[in-house]
Amino acid sequence: MSLLLAVGLSWALVALGPLLTRALGRRAGYACAAVLLGVAGVVTAAWMTGGETRVDVPWMPALDVGLRLRLDGLGFLFALVVLVVGALVMVYSAAYVRAPRPTAFYVLMTAFAAAMLTLVLADDLVVLFVAWELTTVCSYLLILRSGPDAGPPATRTFLVTAAGGLALLGAVVTVAVRTGTTDLTAALADPAWQQDPVFAGAVASLVAFAAMTKSAQLPFHAWLPDAMVAPAPVSAYLHAAAMVKAGIYLLLLFAPAASASPVWPAVLITVGLATCVMGALFALQRTDLKELLAYSTVSQLGLLVAVIGVGTPTAMLAAVVHVVAHALFKSAAFMSVGLIEKRTGTRDLRELRGLARSMPWDAALLAIAVVSMAGVAPTLGFVSKETVLEAFFSAPDAGPLGLLAAGAVVLGAVLTAAYSARMVVGTLPGPRCDVADPRPTAPMSVAVGAAALGGLGAGLAVASVGALTAPAVSVAAGVDVDDVGYLSLWHGVNPALLASLLAVAAGLTLVLWRRGPVDSLLVGRRLLPVAGTEVVQRAHDGVIRLGRRVGDLTRSDAPARHLAVPVVLLGGGAVVAGALWRGLPEGTAPGPFDVGLLVVVVAGIVAVARARSRLTAVVAVGVVGFGVVLWFFVLGASDVALTQLLVEILTVVVLVFVLRRMSRRLPRVRRRRAVGTAAAAVAAGVAATLGTLVFTGHRPPSEVGDFFLREAEELTGGTNVVNTILVDFRALDTLGELVVLAVAAAAIAALLDARRAVDVPQVPEPRTVVADPGRNAVFLQALDRLLVPVMLGASLYALLRGHTAPGGGFIAALIGACALVLAYLAAPTDDVPRVERPYLAIAGAGVVVAVVTGLLGFVDGAFLRPLHAYVLGVHLTSALVFDVGVYLAVLGVILAAVNRLGLSPAGDDRRDADPRDQRADLDREEVRVP
Amino acid sequence: MTLALTVGALTAGAVHLLLQRDLLRVVLGAVLLSHAVNLLLFASGGVLRRDEPLGADLDPATTADPLPQAFVLTAIVIAFAITIYLLVLAVTGRRQDVDGSDDDGREEAA
Repeated sequence: MSLLLAVGLSWALVALGPLLTRALGRRAGYACAAVLLGVAGVVTAAWMTGGETRVDVPWMPALDVGLRLRLDGLGFLFALVVLVVGALVMVYSAAYVRAPRPTAFYVLMTAFAAAMLTLVLADDLVVLFVAWELTTVCSYLLILRSGPDAGPPATRTFLVTAAGGLALLGAVVTVAVRTGTTDLTAALADPAWQQDPVFAGAVASLVAFAAMTKSAQLPFHAWLPDAMVAPAPVSAYLHAAAMVKAGIYLLLLFAPAASASPVWPAVLITVGLATCVMGALFALQRTDLKELLAYSTVSQLGLLVAVIGVGTPTAMLAAVVHVVAHALFKSAAFMSVGLIEKRTGTRDLRELRGLARSMPWDAALLAIAVVSMAGVAPTLGFVSKETVLEAFFSAPDAGPLGLLAAGAVVLGAVLTAAYSARMVVGTLPGPRCDVADPRPTAPMSVAVGAAALGGLGAGLAVASVGALTAPAVSVAAGVDVDDVGYLSLWHGVNPALLASLLAVAAGLTLVLWRRGPVDSLLVGRRLLPVAGTEVVQRAHDGVIRLGRRVGDLTRSDAPARHLAVPVVLLGGGAVVAGALWRGLPEGTAPGPFDVGLLVVVVAGIVAVARARSRLTAVVAVGVVGFGVVLWFFVLGASDVALTQLLVEILTVVVLVFVLRRMSRRLPRVRRRRAVGTAAAAVAAGVAATLGTLVFTGHRPPSEVGDFFLREAEELTGGTNVVNTILVDFRALDTLGELVVLAVAAAAIAALLDARRAVDVPQVPEPRTVVADPGRNAVFLQALDRLLVPVMLGASLYALLRGHTAPGGGFIAALIGACALVLAYLAAPTDDVPRVERPYLAIAGAGVVVAVVTGLLGFVDGAFLRPLHAYVLGVHLTSALVFDVGVYLAVLGVILAAVNRLGLSPAGDDRRDADPRDQRADLDREEVRVP
Repeated sequence: MTLALTVGALTAGAVHLLLQRDLLRVVLGAVLLSHAVNLLLFASGGVLRRDEPLGADLDPATTADPLPQAFVLTAIVIAFAITIYLLVLAVTGRRQDVDGSDDDGREEAA
């Protein structure tokens, strides 16, 4: 239970972020730090009292996916790293961040911490994957919002890490399918890993790929230094505890199972060591301290990946201890560089001098962190590097390749000592220089000090660190806790100590005495033929260019060019339909009424096609529409017919609104086009007729339809079967349609806000009595007073009775809209909006009502399941409330059209002329939307 | 048979209008096309059984299939919203019908 509490608390902190920053401003960092430490306390208490605990909250029971959490040694260690380093970074941020109310910063940082905590405590493959992706998203947003130049680096970071996310998804799906469970513990213990080498190899490769992108291994290393645009606290967290450590955690988690495949050690050791050496070389090239540290992270992570690849208990001990040591010294170093930049104004090695005299305390803390990074006694960095060296020296069946690997590790250690020394030997000595007052940055120094001295203290008290790491190692190496080797500062004189001494001495030599030659060999030179960022950027640009090329094929505003393809396909359909001809469907002898309807529809279509005036075309389409309405009635669909009838009326109204902005006559069609379109039309018509005859009417009534007809009343209490389908049986479909309607309302409003409506053609208006809108509307106004209340009443009635008789939300809303449109039409002038309503709010309220009703269904066990109740003998159902949602959404869309299109076009021009007015208009719009 | 012919006629009219340059004709073409598709959906439910699906204990042998009706009912409203949207598109931005010309859009693209 305490695990749920810990994860819940960390996410609650994210939700509270805005409130905290509102109350405390940038000092919210202290509150965040306190909460993170509190969560760490909860996790520690759970660990101390319960040892290994598991929680399983059902999430998607049908798929056997649960919100499973477990606390084992590995998860506990990583949780502590995430939370404690997170707390230090929060304290640091409280002084570092300049913005008075950095809401987004704290929300994203706490979300980052919460996602990492969920990741390391997850005991379900799906939860693990979701948390993994959340860390990707958080890091993307954190980098993105760090400055105007951050866009491309953030996108590159996202693309690379998201590619790794896809690989992890592949691994998760493969494991879940093969082992039949998403329970992580069970899946990793499955015998399939040993029995099925193909499965183990595939998953090992996918997991290794995912971890390599996240932990910035060659050739995906480029994103990490690229992400240096982010501010110091983000970098410190990203590099020390959060993002890159997710990859390491994943490797440690899968190691016992995936190491069954020979792919696993081969890939990890090769890639890890190459990254270790190359990263250190890159770091040695840099003069920007932050960049130097970034490449140092790449290199250190390479070492971690390689040692995980070795996989012996000693190697896992080395990996786990190094995770802790790296978290401490890297967070200290990053925060220290941020502090130095804050106080001196630069972070360039070539410009920094005399830090020891000007800012002795901060300089001392930097030195301690750097000593730990270089692996010099008595820090924790020294202990971890000794163990790493020992793991490589003592690896079983080493052979010549093993020697090569050990050599690479020693080379990495030499270069690490060199770049670490480079950070201090030039910058600390020298005469005093101008630095800013230490008082504002004191909290930053505290955070740096806690991390740096933590690394030193942990080295001195290394036995207690061993108690923390042993359970983690036992999980990662798959051995008993008692079999894990113990840690100590002094192992006696052994090969590892000699190699370590050699490495430090060689590194110092490189920097102190051979600095000139080394710099001239490395600085400013390209070590690899291509830069990773360029490759990613080129791939990114290439994909977009390809998309544009593909789009060019259809980039034309001539509708005929777009529509030619479907027309040709329809023609092909006609050929297929002809080939499948099975004779006429039974009982299709035309009745006299049917023939009459066909005649009406065809007459309307011919009239539209031949119309020369726009008004004629609109009227003719109306004729076709009413023909279709009658067809629906004849076919026994009174609900559908009613809907179509009301839609026809409203369509005409909206058409009249837009006709004012068009010329009166339709443009003449050229002869060539007329012939072409007529041919296409005939072909399409023949194809459609044939298709209808061939594909419909040949089978008995559908089983679903039978079911609805027989059971609707018993199951829903409604006797209007069509309505029960809409609001009871298939309410999810209807909900989707509501959303479409709300989106249409928003799109209409957005389109008219963003694009200027075309001018009204200047046609001299004949001034007759009939053309005078004021007098013309007198009859309508008189009628209006009578009709509108009646229509609104009818609308309400149709809504209430929809479940048992023709009616329902769609029809009721259309009747209501007709009433409002009538009120609009009766107005003497169109200068002012007659029916100004918050249409977006109404449409949105419709969606909200429908969704809330759907959520109420959970009382009975499922989303959108209607609830029934009898009050005073009257049957009530929540389906009616859902229908109210339908009502509001439909009404919203129509009101959007009436409000936005119904205004006088001249009024539009006035608003366009004065941008301030338009802004005010927009503001009012926003105020209306809740 | 008559329903199939109605669908065919509506499709023919829709295609003819959709292939025109003038935007009002295109929108009206879309309206006709939605009629055609709705009637096609009805045809899929069968055209012989024509009793209203209203009331209790209905006889599936004579009552119309309610499923296509429910589809079409929502389809009509969605098509209406799309029609409004298309009309808004037709009257915003540049004028499409100033000179009443019937070019093939190449000048516009240039």
